[in-house]
Amino acid sequence: MKHHFASSSNTGSRDGEHWVAIVGNPNCGKTAIFNLLTGLNQKVSNYPGITVEKKEGFARTDDGDFRLLDLPGTYSLSAESFDEEIVSEQIDQWAKGMAPPSVIISVVDATNLGRNLYLTSQLQDLNIPIVIALNMVDQLEDHTQIDADKLASKMGVAAVIPLSAKLNEGLDNLKNAVVNARKGKQSPLDSPPWMDSEMVSDLKSTEQNGYVSARFGLAQSMRNKIQSGTMERDQEAILRYRWIDDILSQVTHRGAETPLASSRSEQWDKILTHQWGGPLIFVGILYFIFQSIFTWATVPMDMIQLGMDNFSTFVVNNMPEGMLRDILVEGIIGGVGAIVIFLPQILILSFFLTLLEDTGYMARVAFMLDKGMTKMGLHGKSVLPLMSGYACAIPGIMSTRTIDSWKERLVTILILPLMSCSARLPVYTLLIGAFIPSVTVGGYFNLQGLTLVLMYFLGTAVALILAKVFSKWVGEKSSSSFIMELPPYRAPIPKSVLRHVFIRGKLFLVNAGKVIMAISIVLWFLASFPKVDNPNSDVNPIQHSYAGQIGHAMEPVIRPLGFDWKIGIGLLTSFAAREVMVSTMATIYNVEDAGEEAVNLREAMQTDVHPETGAPTYTPLVALALMVFYVFAAQCMATFAIVRQETNSWKWPMFMVVYMTALAYFGAMAVYQGGKLLGFS
Amino acid sequence: MTLTDLSPGETGIILNIEADTTLSNRLRELGLLDGIAVRMVKMAPLKGPVEIKVHHSYLSIRWDDAQTIRLQS
Ligand SMILES: Nc1nc2c(ncn2[C@@H]2O[C@H](COP(=O)(O)OP(=O)(O)OP(=O)(O)O)[C@@H](O)[C@H]2O)c(=O)[nH]1
Ligand SMILES: [Mg+2]
Repeated sequence: MKHHFASSSNTGSRDGEHWVAIVGNPNCGKTAIFNLLTGLNQKVSNYPGITVEKKEGFARTDDGDFRLLDLPGTYSLSAESFDEEIVSEQIDQWAKGMAPPSVIISVVDATNLGRNLYLTSQLQDLNIPIVIALNMVDQLEDHTQIDADKLASKMGVAAVIPLSAKLNEGLDNLKNAVVNARKGKQSPLDSPPWMDSEMVSDLKSTEQNGYVSARFGLAQSMRNKIQSGTMERDQEAILRYRWIDDILSQVTHRGAETPLASSRSEQWDKILTHQWGGPLIFVGILYFIFQSIFTWATVPMDMIQLGMDNFSTFVVNNMPEGMLRDILVEGIIGGVGAIVIFLPQILILSFFLTLLEDTGYMARVAFMLDKGMTKMGLHGKSVLPLMSGYACAIPGIMSTRTIDSWKERLVTILILPLMSCSARLPVYTLLIGAFIPSVTVGGYFNLQGLTLVLMYFLGTAVALILAKVFSKWVGEKSSSSFIMELPPYRAPIPKSVLRHVFIRGKLFLVNAGKVIMAISIVLWFLASFPKVDNPNSDVNPIQHSYAGQIGHAMEPVIRPLGFDWKIGIGLLTSFAAREVMVSTMATIYNVEDAGEEAVNLREAMQTDVHPETGAPTYTPLVALALMVFYVFAAQCMATFAIVRQETNSWKWPMFMVVYMTALAYFGAMAVYQGGKLLGFS
Repeated sequence: MTLTDLSPGETGIILNIEADTTLSNRLRELGLLDGIAVRMVKMAPLKGPVEIKVHHSYLSIRWDDAQTIRLQS
């Protein structure tokens, strides 16, 4: 199965430089520690498999700075999925002497020491100084005591530093230990302490595979023998665990707590993952989130709108009349402003999605849905990528790296862009706000909110159906398992949640600032020129402009969907980013209006009439068709680039464009034409 | 008997694991060694995955995979 995965890029490690790597099991707090040491903001969340690529940063100490590398989590050096492969390949390179770190920080979860130290013991074979970061000590039961110094000397590592990344305690000790570990020379052991002399001499006869450390060579030839079946399969695990358990019995003191005791999380799970109730609760949560995106955001959105209006009035009143003012008011404030008002929605959505992950709930959802997902050709671990797709397809596609079967990973990638990402939200919201009446249906459902939920549902349902179809003929079957740790429920760290939400919001605004501003300016020119020579002629200046001409050229193709030339231009500019649709419409109306004040886009669309017939240009039916178009349309260049990277071929992004475009075109046509047949206008 | 014969709440001791090399390797690495006690926590409906507690952690394993884990009777 290995050859299917894209090869991991080598980070630019420079030989002989002092740098440090962080290695550990999934979800043990590596990235939390990395962030504290480097001051960076990489994603931390209570789900095993959040980090799926190498990340670098610089840690500052009194003895100078050093480069720090954060890696995905893994349980051992035998990789099953691509994120684990990144780690095992990296470690293999170090073992062969290719730019190894001068110190490894082996992060272990203190509440589950034995299992975490398994990987540490594999790392020890490398003969690189190791500092164990004994993380999560705040979660230890009151009666549990771990003698850190004794553990360090028994295992033969440079130091064991108890710490809590959550409480930011012990990080200075960790830094000092890393600096000292690099200076102090570790006495190299030729044979691993968990092997007896008989085994060592047995394995010595086999070749050393070019590894720098004899000890790693021994362990590796043991793994090879296990793979080829000449050695008992569980040999490595038995030997290592025997050694670790023996050490742990000497350095830890546990109270009455037994390893199998029921935890508080288990009590929560009696309800939250209840056989039948659990999935219902999940659907309820999703409904609540999508509905609240619409309802909760109205007040802050109105406030931003008001601020924008005041700002443009201010500019109009205080700037001399001329082209510069027109660009500023009609192009930039009109275009960017139309987008910025959606910030509250983006923040609300990412707040809820972050909460679901950070509490540990998402891992449970994966557990509950695994069976259903496999029935659809997907995987329990597809759930988190798909859910992140509601925010943005790109991190979602990256996080499919945790899926151990290539086929299921590929199918997940292919359907993921059908999950309505937050760039579609401005389009949905604008159209719903303008054309769907705010009435209550069925007792307490708001029709506007319900329409939004429906769009999310449409994308998701079609995604699942297509997954089933694609999995019939995409990729060959490969073995797949769903071995996943269910982390304890944790109260999310408010700072970390807020930081994440803030980053999402910033990304949205920076995008609005850069892409949308650039496009708004270009579009302003296209919509304003050429100027009509005779101002008294009855030629509509914007129809006459370049933008108008392009739009009109498109009309024959998009007419059957109910779209006019303005939407046509919006569809084109949407290729830069979907939300540009909204700013495009805003810019066009502003230029057309050419008045003193910024146009209210919603009202402008509602009152837009056909110049000849006087019939409204946009109707609820057109709005619905346009929304359906956006549910399916492939309009995000960045997504294709990432799919190309993850699948290592242009074939799949191209396939994606074709099938999504077809879905969008014919889906919108079906809505519009079907609606007309049914007598809607 | 196998792991899936346990009802939620029951505990068993691992006798051996009959899965293929890749799967059994992974289970062993996670500490599912012969003689180790596991507790069945939860079974998802329709032969979905099962949740077990072993050592100090909760693990989810698919039904078919769990059936390869044989328990002492
Ligand atoms: N109580 C407690 N929680 C912690 C501590 N350190 C990290 N966490 C939480 O543990 C979870 C996992 O932290 P991460 O830093 O994402 O773990 P990771 O090892 O990078 O995880 P992967 O990238 O998925 O392998 C998050 O919910 C953290 O908030 C700690 O010292 N105490
Ligand atoms: Mg991480």
